[in-house]
Amino acid sequence: MPAAASTDPGEVSDLDLVKRSQAGDTRAFDVLVTRYRGRIYAMTYHLIQNETEAWDLAQEAFIKAWRALPTFKHDAGFYTWLYRIAHNVSYDWLRKKKIQGDGEFDDERVEHRIAVGAEATPHGDLAPDAAMRNAELGQRIQAAIATLSPEHRQVIVLREVEGLAYEEIAALIPCSLGTVMSRLFYARKKLQEQLHDVYETSL
Amino acid sequence: MKHPSEEQDIIRWIDGEMNETERTTFEERLKLDPALASEAQKMRALSASLRSHLPAEIRVPHADYFNTQIEVRITQMALDDARSKQAATSWSAMFQWLTQPWFALVGAAALAVLGFFLLQPASADDSESMILSSYTPNLRVQARTYHDHDADATVLMLDGLDAMPADKHISGVNIQRSEMEPELASTTMYDEKGAAVFMISHDSLGNPLISPEG
Repeated sequence: MPAAASTDPGEVSDLDLVKRSQAGDTRAFDVLVTRYRGRIYAMTYHLIQNETEAWDLAQEAFIKAWRALPTFKHDAGFYTWLYRIAHNVSYDWLRKKKIQGDGEFDDERVEHRIAVGAEATPHGDLAPDAAMRNAELGQRIQAAIATLSPEHRQVIVLREVEGLAYEEIAALIPCSLGTVMSRLFYARKKLQEQLHDVYETSL
Repeated sequence: MKHPSEEQDIIRWIDGEMNETERTTFEERLKLDPALASEAQKMRALSASLRSHLPAEIRVPHADYFNTQIEVRITQMALDDARSKQAATSWSAMFQWLTQPWFALVGAAALAVLGFFLLQPASADDSESMILSSYTPNLRVQARTYHDHDADATVLMLDGLDAMPADKHISGVNIQRSEMEPELASTTMYDEKGAAVFMISHDSLGNPLISPEG
């Protein structure tokens, strides 16, 4: 499952903060929010592909976590537990969106509602032209992901962003291992079709 | 459409999920099947590109506001819970600052006052109100109640308190009613003459504001 952020020596551990939060200390919980908001927001953002909605859903996840804190047993890491909540909140939203028909998840849909230039943790310094190409490719990838069905988008985010093993994805969704692999194959296939010019020239 | 096992082979090869034997066998097969090899290589390039363009962490826009909104909603939930449960439960979010060690004594005193307040009838029609649960910020302190119908009195007992300094004038305060201000996250308590005798709230940093002191 997703690993917790590494903490510096001297930094208060998740366990201490969770215990204080469970006793009602909202300032301790605020530290946990600050520690994990970037990763939770990244997950909701990749799944939802809309900055405003992702922001709201990330917040919703933290609030649900606060409410559920009394049931947190410390047998799993806090981030893993929080990640599950955020995933479920986001995926429920996607499913509702699909049922309501507000947004067609098909290959013809090319609109993408991502804030251009959304701030991301930088991977390193690139030359200006390389950085521009990199940014353009990033936008194209995001736009391609936005056309995937919720199920396909979900496995792509869980595998490519979070690096979860197949078994972990199957347990989180939940579904069979075969379904995970099948969805991964077809999700990548669809992305490949949309980005074929990039990968055909790069090989 | 590919056979499911072929799809799985490609996926597992890309993700490094094959053992050594499986990987060697599959790569031998790729050498004999250029179409399959081309597809697998393109998909692997795509996967690598996705990983480098989908950051696992993104800076949250308006991050401070993000946190503040969560705190506001948590406080609001605590107030809503308190209202819906006849002010009997869920004070923890609002009074989390009572858990500070330096505030233990004042926290216990506040609890005593709050407990006393909770025992008071909310209105003439609600004379059967009772304590359903209690919260003590200091886990060493245990709260128990005893109600005597004949005397129409309830005693709140707090075990585990530190010695009460003589200059803390909290005994004998008779709270008749209280008013909560959700906007300010504050509670004001009034005596039988309608005078405000005690107010609990916190500032934007979560520090306790109590008036009058002690």
